[in-house]
Amino acid sequence: MESKELILEVKKLNTTFVSDKKETRIVKDVSFAVKRGTTLAVVGESGCSKSVTMNSIMRFLGRNAKVEAESIRFTAKRADGTAEPHQLEGIKNPNGAEMRALRGPQMSMVFQDPMSSLNPVYKVGDQVAEGLIQHTGISKKQAREQVLELFPRLGIPDPESRIDCYPHQFSGGMKQRVVIAIAMICNPELIICDEPTTALDVTIQAQIMELLKKLQVENGKSIILITHNMGLVAEMADEVCVMYMGRVVEFGSLEDIFDHPSHPYTKALLRSVPVLGLADGQKLETIPGITPNPADLKPGCEFADRCAECTERCRGANIPAYEIAPGHRVRCVQFDHFPEVD
Amino acid sequence: MLKYILKKILAMIPMLLLISMIVFFGLQLTGVDPINFMVSPDVLSANAANVEALRDSLGLNDPVIVQYFHWLGKVVTGDLGYSFDGSSIAETIAVRLPYTFELAGWSLLLSAIIGVGIGILSAIRQNGIIDYVGRVLAVFGQAVPQFLVGIILIQILSIQLGWFPAGNRVSPGAASAFIDAVQHLFLPVLTLTIGMVAVLMRYARNTTLDVLNSDYIKTARSKGIPEWKVYLKHGFRNAMKPVLVIVLFRIPMLVGGSVVIESVFSYPGIGLTMTNAITSGDYPVVLITTLIIAAAMLICSFMVDVLNALLDPRVRLGE
Repeated sequence: MESKELILEVKKLNTTFVSDKKETRIVKDVSFAVKRGTTLAVVGESGCSKSVTMNSIMRFLGRNAKVEAESIRFTAKRADGTAEPHQLEGIKNPNGAEMRALRGPQMSMVFQDPMSSLNPVYKVGDQVAEGLIQHTGISKKQAREQVLELFPRLGIPDPESRIDCYPHQFSGGMKQRVVIAIAMICNPELIICDEPTTALDVTIQAQIMELLKKLQVENGKSIILITHNMGLVAEMADEVCVMYMGRVVEFGSLEDIFDHPSHPYTKALLRSVPVLGLADGQKLETIPGITPNPADLKPGCEFADRCAECTERCRGANIPAYEIAPGHRVRCVQFDHFPEVD
Repeated sequence: MLKYILKKILAMIPMLLLISMIVFFGLQLTGVDPINFMVSPDVLSANAANVEALRDSLGLNDPVIVQYFHWLGKVVTGDLGYSFDGSSIAETIAVRLPYTFELAGWSLLLSAIIGVGIGILSAIRQNGIIDYVGRVLAVFGQAVPQFLVGIILIQILSIQLGWFPAGNRVSPGAASAFIDAVQHLFLPVLTLTIGMVAVLMRYARNTTLDVLNSDYIKTARSKGIPEWKVYLKHGFRNAMKPVLVIVLFRIPMLVGGSVVIESVFSYPGIGLTMTNAITSGDYPVVLITTLIIAAAMLICSFMVDVLNALLDPRVRLGE
């Protein structure tokens, strides 16, 4: 079990945005865990707070965001193999020394849009080296050596000449490789990928995902993959966390989610994935309705209004999650004969 | 880079020629007859033949195009000609242009430091107290016309309180040239600065906000570098690019556009020279002052191009 210990364990994370003195709760009691060396996919349609959840953990949100949690425990591994836990929920300054010490060498993030994730006025090599120099204090020259070493591993050819290029001289896929290089250069244990391929075309998508998979297998990295691409989930994930309107509605292993989807939302999500060999004239299913405005949500299950299996009980105040199989949690009253978990 | 600069410099020459042509031919349309400034009206009607001879000798009967090249040939060799009042234009410019530069330079420097400084601070602490006060002041500074600010300042600080002279640049017999300069410059510089701070503040605030919300700032934070590095290294340089354009394009506006302020303070710079020349129909002076302002505009836009290329590799390498 040593290798499968938890690298990140989040309990009851709540993120609230304040605007015009009005508070809107965006992330609600989100709990999940990532096992070391595995990939957790976080799925859900646009606006379901996947990104906000991850940005809350990395503390990238602006000052109008309030992040509270019962516990956010990040367990780093020391060189001698012993565990070094960090409790992130207690850190006050989102950009203070404690958070900064973790960002880069322990956890890092790959963003959605490589076109805007790189600073247009600096050479890509310098942008990659910046974090390394910050955390290790090595010289510019040594850092450059390491960047040159990293580039080919990430599929950036001819590093000697590419390292001195500016971002606008790179294609989208190459830019994303640079963004991954920035995330990888300090050799972090956890990489959060926020829809890393959404802005790229399909062939490049496949290359980037292959690259991430390779890095994980070869270096034992833990990955959180935010996506709404079910194909990617099937390919990459060990565990899946389905989110809807700021809540985790279902959490389980890849098999749990794909073979025994239990929450009506998960089922609807899987039905709306296009598959090869769709019969002539058969329409792809969609989920009726739109995601509601988080500012005027009614009590009870957030999905109730769009759910085909909705009953009177779904409008009740508090719906807990039920564990329907070991490690498989569903937040739906249909399963209330199973034990409650928080 | 060198080729880029050379190309930009060469492009300025036809622009200047074109502007001089437009101004020259445009002024012909006003129908001002220089003879009216040289000969009194009663003599004019009596000596029609002599006047015609004078016209011929001055080249005023030549086709306009010939007059233009004649004038251009002289200007290019440094002979700016004479005003209708007989004074050498070159001498007037030599005295007055430095005064204008003095006024423009100080206003630009002060407003850039204050305006950009407040703008950045209010962006970093968005909706904070500096932001709030700054936004109110910006609206005020942009809404109130500069000449009004100037008149109010003169009324209070020089007429009522007597702290500063109400106009001019030099007082005869002043003990210290430096103190004299500070005293005379204070009010016009303050007036121009108030207006420009308002513009620059808003601009710097908006571009800084844009940049601070951009993805690469998040990337910078994800590297774990300290906040001051995030702001200075990744934020400032990108945010200042558009601000720099605004600041530089204030220069020609200051050289020419302080026309109103120079009049309010009867400050003897290029602007006042130009207004006086226009009201008295002194078109050789109008020609030269207009050209100076146009040249200032072109030089500034050239500087904008060069600085942009220095700051932004996309411009530098995309030539």
